[in-house]
Amino acid sequence: MAKESFDKEIQFLRMLVLTSGAYSRQQFAERLGISVHTFDKTLRRLKDIVGTMYQQLPQEQSKEFAEAIRFNYYESADPMLLFLFRAKSLKGSESVRYSLLLAALNDQALTAMELMDYCCGSLPADIPLPDEKTIRSDLKYLEEVGVIRKESASRPYRYRLDNDLVRELTEEELYDLYDFVDVMANTQIPSVQGYLLRDGLKKHLLRNQAEPLALDHFLYKYHYYSRILDEAHLFTLLDAIRHRRRVRFLYFSPKADKSYAAQNTNPLFERESEGKLEKTLPLKVVYDHQYGRWYLLASGREGIRKYRMEGMTQLEEEDPVAEQVFAEKAAALEERMRYSWLLDTGRPVTVRARFFNPGHFEPNFVRERVLLQGQWGQIVAEEEESFIYEIKVNGTTEIKPWLRSFGSSCEVLEPLYFRREMIAEWKEIQAYYESV
Amino acid sequence: MNPFEKIFNYQVISRLDDSGTFMVTAHERAWLKKMLKHPAAEEAFTPETRQKLQGLLQSIEELSTSDYLTEKAKSAEKQVYHPLLRILRRHIVERSGIRISFQVKRGRVQPDRSGLAYKLEYSMVKREWYLLWYDLRRHALMSTRLSKLISIAPEPLDPAAADQVYEEIARTLDSRKTETVLEVVREYHKELSRILYAFSCFEKTVEYDEEQGTYRLRVCVLGDEVEYLLSKIRFLGKRVRILEGDYLKRRMLEASTKALERYGDEVSPNADEVELSS
Repeated sequence: MAKESFDKEIQFLRMLVLTSGAYSRQQFAERLGISVHTFDKTLRRLKDIVGTMYQQLPQEQSKEFAEAIRFNYYESADPMLLFLFRAKSLKGSESVRYSLLLAALNDQALTAMELMDYCCGSLPADIPLPDEKTIRSDLKYLEEVGVIRKESASRPYRYRLDNDLVRELTEEELYDLYDFVDVMANTQIPSVQGYLLRDGLKKHLLRNQAEPLALDHFLYKYHYYSRILDEAHLFTLLDAIRHRRRVRFLYFSPKADKSYAAQNTNPLFERESEGKLEKTLPLKVVYDHQYGRWYLLASGREGIRKYRMEGMTQLEEEDPVAEQVFAEKAAALEERMRYSWLLDTGRPVTVRARFFNPGHFEPNFVRERVLLQGQWGQIVAEEEESFIYEIKVNGTTEIKPWLRSFGSSCEVLEPLYFRREMIAEWKEIQAYYESV
Repeated sequence: MNPFEKIFNYQVISRLDDSGTFMVTAHERAWLKKMLKHPAAEEAFTPETRQKLQGLLQSIEELSTSDYLTEKAKSAEKQVYHPLLRILRRHIVERSGIRISFQVKRGRVQPDRSGLAYKLEYSMVKREWYLLWYDLRRHALMSTRLSKLISIAPEPLDPAAADQVYEEIARTLDSRKTETVLEVVREYHKELSRILYAFSCFEKTVEYDEEQGTYRLRVCVLGDEVEYLLSKIRFLGKRVRILEGDYLKRRMLEASTKALERYGDEVSPNADEVELSS
């Protein structure tokens, strides 16, 4: 069986979150490059997951589903999109068995045979009884993912749930841990594993509370919460980089109309795939805090290539390259990226800008923001009313929005062409609002 | 590491929930081990707890990303954790009253105000923690930087009164909401995804008019967040235009007019009109 891919679900959720219910079923399906039938199927599946996880079943239409997972700041302590990572499909009997085994090992250590007896005695009648081989392979899997562990080194092995984390910590310590995990998952990357841990800890704490207390005391302002969708590809890519392997994927440039083409193996979905098959050597993954987006930087035949992670589907690892080849390419990339505000590998220029301090009686939020967000740039001169910021940066395209975001508190000084561009842009923006 | 492990399957999780079983995988431990190395961990735990955690994770291989993962345009991380979080969190969860003193502008001190702690809010922009709390005497929802807090102590508060305050906070938040409608300028439709990403940190809906082929964003922010929304709109420059929201429109006119004044004489009608997409 082909490896289960979640491309459809990822693209689906991304579009749902970004466009927040703008499209009808038909328009939505068209843009994803799938049939309305597939659209409905995907939606049903996701609703099923959300319904099981959160015991709140959204309504029939996608608009209302979007509503249900819509960003609502003061009520959204839980990362709703996390349910994507719960989507791995599993045979019904398998999921029953796993949960049964783990529950049995919750407070005692048992051998495979004891567990088999336990399963046979506890499984619902409609589920086939497992044989020893099945139980052993289940245990092997559970041990691999670190959920259980062998208690002793001698046979027959006794297994027990590996839940020291909650057993060894006091309740107070667990609250501290929960808070820490919450803060780190929300402010650092990667986050998915942190969110999963947060989810488990939260349920554990709520279960053991004498009286029900809410656990949503932290808020994060201006958080790109859809960034976790791209973490789906992150680990495959990091793994490929670590092993110096090429990767292959079907790439949809973000400017293309459609963002997903069903794999051609299923005749039902067959269509012309409009993405481009890319084969490339991954070198680095970049997360851009300005937009909350992920990129892959890779080395292809044409030199350094930049891909947006949101456009990557059907990602697979390929053959490795020699260490030396990788090292050369990686070093070259490093050199070219030294002055990238984000990803630009163009020619470095020195940008100089004058920032104007707010009035005397106000805290200097302009300077504060420049220091906080100005990356490696330096304040090279300070006067009473203004200061000069200087940075060597690859091209002016990527730094421009940031400088513009300061409005009239920033005047670009050099290079001259950049200064002129800024003037032209402000003129056009002024024209938008002149009739106000 | 595959984030789509079978063990994370929603049916498994829901069954474990039913049986009250806590499960943690090697993935989560590896992540935690990495995060414990962050300086924030020192503020988040007592030394004993941190040691205990490190002991528990000793044999785990740490999630390693740093060599091949780079973050760009990240703000300097001046504060991720604050030692007061642990104490304040307790007051919030227990809905206890607080007595608080803090510094305001130009070093003045507001002593001993009675209130109810509501939430702790981290600004990803300013990289700082704020306490959102309700001032019982002034009947106002306040936001105070933790770095400005001088002292804080619990104070008894009748649970019924706390309930009322929570209702009042909900009403206040609701009344502070303002809605702005933006249009994605047609020439920039090819950048739609980027533009939508930029607004994905706000509460918003998107309307698409198939006949006109237009995209409109209805963005909802609380009163004091308008400044941040404005900086986002300036950030995107010509890509979006405000359709509804007189105050914001005026501010954009003012910003562009004042910006042009900065450039003085060079702003002639013949200046080159060059545009690079950014």
